[in-house]
Amino acid sequence: MLPFSPTRSLLILAALLCSLALASTANAQEIPPYSGWVTDLAELVSPEKEAELHGLMETYRNGEGGHEIAVLTVPSLRGRSPEEFSLRVAREWGLGKMDTHNGALLLIAVKERKTRIEVGRGLEGSIPDAVASRILRNILAPKLRAGDYDGAVEDSVRALHAAAGGDYGPLERAGDRPANTTKDLAIIAGMVIFFLVVTHRRRRNPRRLRGGRNSGRGGFGPVIIGSPGRYSGGSGGGFGGFGGGGGFSGGGASGGW
Amino acid sequence: MGKFFTIILLLLIGVAVLGVTSYNGLVSADEGVAAKWAEVENQYKRRADLVPQLVETVKGAADFEKSTITEVTEMRAKIGQMQLPAGGPESQAQLDEFMKNQDALGQSLGRLIMVTENYPELRATEAFRDLQAQLEGNENRIGVARGDYVTSLRKFNTGVRSFPKNYIAGHFGFEAKPQLEFDSSVEELPTIDFGGNAPAESGK
Repeated sequence: MLPFSPTRSLLILAALLCSLALASTANAQEIPPYSGWVTDLAELVSPEKEAELHGLMETYRNGEGGHEIAVLTVPSLRGRSPEEFSLRVAREWGLGKMDTHNGALLLIAVKERKTRIEVGRGLEGSIPDAVASRILRNILAPKLRAGDYDGAVEDSVRALHAAAGGDYGPLERAGDRPANTTKDLAIIAGMVIFFLVVTHRRRRNPRRLRGGRNSGRGGFGPVIIGSPGRYSGGSGGGFGGFGGGGGFSGGGASGGW
Repeated sequence: MGKFFTIILLLLIGVAVLGVTSYNGLVSADEGVAAKWAEVENQYKRRADLVPQLVETVKGAADFEKSTITEVTEMRAKIGQMQLPAGGPESQAQLDEFMKNQDALGQSLGRLIMVTENYPELRATEAFRDLQAQLEGNENRIGVARGDYVTSLRKFNTGVRSFPKNYIAGHFGFEAKPQLEFDSSVEELPTIDFGGNAPAESGK
């Protein structure tokens, strides 16, 4: 141990404080701020779909499971690994509830053609790495390859939701079934849960769903919440921020297309 | 005279408060290190638990190379016998021994995965791909757990060494813990090539 010297100790403390301050600003620069449930920096998803997904994810959070599923697309990772990047984003954003850490993040990096699902500690049981990997392999990648970005993101989010609700049966047999059946089943499962959640919500708080009820064929309009809250621009829907959990320990899977 | 005593009293209270907060800070940092270490151990254990499953899966492939399987199971058995104090390793030697064995298992797993390259029909099965995803995810979790452990260690060790906590630490027997060098150990970590969907750091 070093001999005590007040000047040196103070200097060390000051240096530590400075480096801490520097480190945190550096972090802040690298982590993009969220602009709602879908932070589409790469502009992959059409505004209409984004608004629809906004409503969808809001109902997930308000539903029984209360899990928070967010999407981030970036034009490039700029040399970072998808694992490191998504972990830091998910922690920084505070995805998931404070006590349960039930958040998940879907990351798509366009230039590197890499994808990742980061799973919060509270969801690791229902979305194990293998399931996350299957969603990336069997749902996300084929649609991305086909250029159907809206569908890719939506189907993956619905699959994640279905898995988080413990309802991922259909995809367990992904290997020996035609891809279409699997996908449809997953979507149906997702929709069933979604509607259960919607009707459940409506009973408790009918006002909240105005505009969220389906507006014909075009799917669901944006869910507009009464109070302005922290309206974060972007497309459709007020967004009050994530639950503040951020308990992520590297669970999830990585992929590409 | 009254004024003098008031000043002394205030100073004493100030010192006492400083002492208590420093002590509490050390205790919580100490607990933080223990918790993060538990996570490191937990993730290594997860990997060891995946070994039998992996062995079962590759054994299914026709005449899979036996030597790699034996190596992996032996390394796993060796790791199962390791005993560390609950609060984390107390000496550098303990930590180094633990990491050496874990890295050896990681490397033999890496070799096993490499051998599977020669069995394309095995690699194509959904079961194998799931296992790959689990192993790959586990390597990532280990990396994250180690990173968090290093961060908490740094916090504790800085506290133990810097003023005024170094006095409190000396008095109550807090000692700097063995350091895990994060950056160098990341390089040592075996890179398991998982084929197409691998999270290649350098990949473009």
